[in-house]
Amino acid sequence: MSLLAQSVRQALRHTAQRSTLSGALRALSLGPTLQQQNKPAPATIDVSAIAKEHQRECQTICERINQQVARAEQGRLFAVVHLCGKQFKITPGDIILVEGYWPPTIGDEISLDKVLLAGARDFTLIGRPILEPGLVTVKATIIEKTLTHTKTHFKKKRRKQYMRINFQRSPNTMIRINSIELTRPVDGGGEPDAEPSKRLF
Amino acid sequence: MVFISIPLMVRARGPDEFWRKRRIFKLAAHYRSRTRNVYSFAIRSVHRALAYATKGRKLKKLDMAQLWTTRVEAGCQQYGVALDTFKEGLARSDILLNKKMLSDLAIWEPRSFEALVNISRERAAVEGLPDIKRRSAFNQVYGLSNLKLD
Repeated sequence: MSLLAQSVRQALRHTAQRSTLSGALRALSLGPTLQQQNKPAPATIDVSAIAKEHQRECQTICERINQQVARAEQGRLFAVVHLCGKQFKITPGDIILVEGYWPPTIGDEISLDKVLLAGARDFTLIGRPILEPGLVTVKATIIEKTLTHTKTHFKKKRRKQYMRINFQRSPNTMIRINSIELTRPVDGGGEPDAEPSKRLF
Repeated sequence: MVFISIPLMVRARGPDEFWRKRRIFKLAAHYRSRTRNVYSFAIRSVHRALAYATKGRKLKKLDMAQLWTTRVEAGCQQYGVALDTFKEGLARSDILLNKKMLSDLAIWEPRSFEALVNISRERAAVEGLPDIKRRSAFNQVYGLSNLKLD
């Protein structure tokens, strides 16, 4: 609720800026004077009514999502997680490869917390930039730690007696995604972007 | 190889000629014509191949980035939004998905991608980015319908 109010306030601030800006532009422009008239913006807008409408719309969407989840009809979820500086689109059963040094060892159970986006057949939850903690839990297991194949780093300059050859292998970690679950119902107040096509912000 | 004195040891060239050449020939085994059988040809092409492989590892990353850009751009074009506007709109809405993810979503999760496009376009319209022709519904609500965005 507070977030909605905040967004409305932001929008109001936008209107103020916009009207002054456009007024200044009109003053600068050379168009006919009729267009240049700075129409007074209809200031008497019932902000609370619009806020309420928003809230209602948001609530209905969230309720529909919650109902679907409660009846377990949402199907398989997918998620976009941020892991080791990279983003992965994952779904339960996937194996993802983390390149480079990464401390966890084989058999570790981890939960991937930076979920940028989660989606199912009928809805998408979009984080800004990440979904709030505890909304979606992604569980994963480390299944393998290996080295890459040997990469040959070879440089040569012709006619300059310059040649370097090095061999490198970097660590690789394989992770299996065990489950992606919506742990608690989506609530309209704290969560801005459920089924965002219907929402303005 | 017998090193009788220091100068000879300096001049010694590592392993026996057979093994030195064999290393190169093993890498050239699948080449065609004389580059496979003649050492002077083989070593030339092996060196070139290894150098290409080293450079190629960097180029691959650049190529993939380019490919993702193309894919995201094509995804945006479906909805009549330019790539720059799309990315700017997302960034201003604090949605920090990278190009790889956006291209993946555009291909495999078209409805999620459409939602992202809608968010981005709405944000762009509200902020008055130059590329958006359609007026923001939000601005209309707040009496800014006379604001010219196109």
